[in-house]
Amino acid sequence: MIRSSLHRSWLLCKKNITVYIKQGPVLMFGLLFPFFMTLSWIIGREISLDVVFIGIVAMTSFFTATAISPVILPIETREKSLERILVSPISLKENLLGIILASTLYSLIITTIITITLMLLFSIMFNSIFLVFLLFVGIGLMAILGSLLGLLVAGYHTDNFANIMILVNLVKFPLLFMSGIFIPFNELPSHMVYLSFISPLTFLTDLLRYCVDGSNYFT
Amino acid sequence: MENISEKNLIYKENKDAIRVWNLTKKFGDLTAVENSTFTIERGIIVGILGPNGAGKTTTIRMITGVFKLENNSKIEVFGEDISKSKNKYKKNFGIIPEVSNAFSDYTVWQNMKFSGGIYGLSREIIKKRAIELLTKFNLIDKIHSKTKSLSKGLKQRLNLCIALLHDPPILIMDEPTSGLDPISVNLMREQILKLKAEGKTILITTHNMREAQIICDRILIMNKGKIIASESPDYLRKKFKSPSTIRCKVDICPPQQKEQLLNMFKFSEEGNHLLISSKNAIKDISILYQLSKENNLKISELKIEDTSLEQVFIHLIEEDSNNKEEVEKK
Repeated sequence: MIRSSLHRSWLLCKKNITVYIKQGPVLMFGLLFPFFMTLSWIIGREISLDVVFIGIVAMTSFFTATAISPVILPIETREKSLERILVSPISLKENLLGIILASTLYSLIITTIITITLMLLFSIMFNSIFLVFLLFVGIGLMAILGSLLGLLVAGYHTDNFANIMILVNLVKFPLLFMSGIFIPFNELPSHMVYLSFISPLTFLTDLLRYCVDGSNYFT
Repeated sequence: MENISEKNLIYKENKDAIRVWNLTKKFGDLTAVENSTFTIERGIIVGILGPNGAGKTTTIRMITGVFKLENNSKIEVFGEDISKSKNKYKKNFGIIPEVSNAFSDYTVWQNMKFSGGIYGLSREIIKKRAIELLTKFNLIDKIHSKTKSLSKGLKQRLNLCIALLHDPPILIMDEPTSGLDPISVNLMREQILKLKAEGKTILITTHNMREAQIICDRILIMNKGKIIASESPDYLRKKFKSPSTIRCKVDICPPQQKEQLLNMFKFSEEGNHLLISSKNAIKDISILYQLSKENNLKISELKIEDTSLEQVFIHLIEEDSNNKEEVEKK
C-alpha cells in the first residue's frame, strides 16, 4: 500500500521535473534571477569570497526551491492535465508529495552543483568534514522548506502562473532581504534581527556562516 | 501489480456498472446538478445529452471523483460506494476528455508509461499493451513524437490509448468527436462500437444528436441540472412523436400551384426540395399525389423522414423550460 503510494508520488515527481524544468518561470526565477541578483550584489564591491560563497549558495538554494512547486498546479489547471491526475487513482497527498519531491530534488541538484563548483573555484576550506555535512543538511532543509512555501502559495486557485509568481515574489523578496545575506546581523537594528527570524533563509545563511568561517550570529 | 483478467471476473458479477442517487452539486447560488438519480447497466452505451450548462460535465466530474459528493448524494461503481473506496474505484474508469489532457511536453510513449505506472501496471504489461493499442489506433509511428506536435485527431487517439491502457471496464467520453474531421469521427465511432462489443460500458456526453441516435443504447437528457428523460433513442422518438417531414422534389411547379400548396401544407424549401411538415404523412402524400395529378405537377422524388432525436431533444427541452417558467410564475 505505502510502496505503491510512494511509487505513484515518484512517477509524479519524475513527470514534474521532466516537464517543468524547462518552463520559462522556472528558468527565470530559479536560475537567472539568483544569477543576476548575485552579479548586482558583488560587482563594484569589496566582498570576501567567503561571503560571496555564502550569499550565492543561500540564494540559489532559496530560489531553486521555490521555482517549481508554485507553477505546477496553475499550468496543469490551464492545460487540463490536473484533471487527468484527479481522475486517476492518485490521492491528493500523493500528488502534493510528487510536487514537493520534484521541487526539493531540483533545488538539491542545482545547489549542490553550484556549491561544489564554488568551493573549488574560491578554494573554500572547511575545518572538518562534519561542517561540509552540516552545510548540505542545511541546503536540504532549505530545499524542503522552499518547496513547501511554493506549494502553499500555489494553493491560490488560478490557471495563470503569472498571478502565482507575483504572489511568490511578494513573499520571497522580503524574506530574502531580511535574511542577513546582504547586511550582516551585527549591523542590523535589533528589531530587524527579530523580524528576520521569520525567514527560513536567515537560519540557512547563519548555518553557512558557521560552516565556512565561524562568523555565525546564533549559537 | 494488477491482474487484468482477474479484475474483469469481479466486474462480471455486477449487473449495473454505475448507480447514482440524488446527485446534487451547487456552485454558490447556482445548482449545476439537482437530485439526479440514474443507473447505467453493464455493457451498454449511454449518452448524456443536454444544452450548454445543463450539468453534463459536472455529472461526469462527480462520477469520476473530480468534485466531491454533497450530502445525500451517493454513487456506486460495480456495487462499491465511491465515498468509501478512496481512489481505488477510479481504476474502473478510462476517461477520454474533449480537450487532450496528455502532458504536452511528454512523448506519446512517456504519456503511456506514466499512465500505466499510475494504474499499477508492470513494465512488461505497459510495453505490451501500449504497442498493441498504438498499433491498433495507427499511432505507433508517432511513439517518440512530443504530444504537443500531434494534430487534434491524433491527440484524441492518444487519449483513447491512454484511457484503454489499464483495460478499464467503463469508458467515459466527453464530446469524443468534437472538432474532429469526418474520417476521424467515423474512426472514433467505429472504435466506440467495437469497445461496446468487447463488453465495455460507455458513457458519452455529446451535442451531436445523429451520433447519439446511431451509437447510444440509452439517452439521458439533462436540462438545468435535472434528468428529464432516460430512454432508448428509438423509444424516445416513438414516445414523443412530433410531425414527420415529407421531403419532395417538384420539378415543375407554377407559382399559382405553389400558392395552393402553401395554403394546404406547412412547408419550407431546401434547395430544390420542399419540406412538408406532416402529422399524418400517408394522408398528406395522397393529397399531394391528387394535387399533382390535377395540376400537372411533376414530383420526381418523395421521401418520408422520421422524427429525429434532434426534434425530440428540442421538444423535450422546450417543454421542460416552459414548465419551469410556469412554475416560477405561479
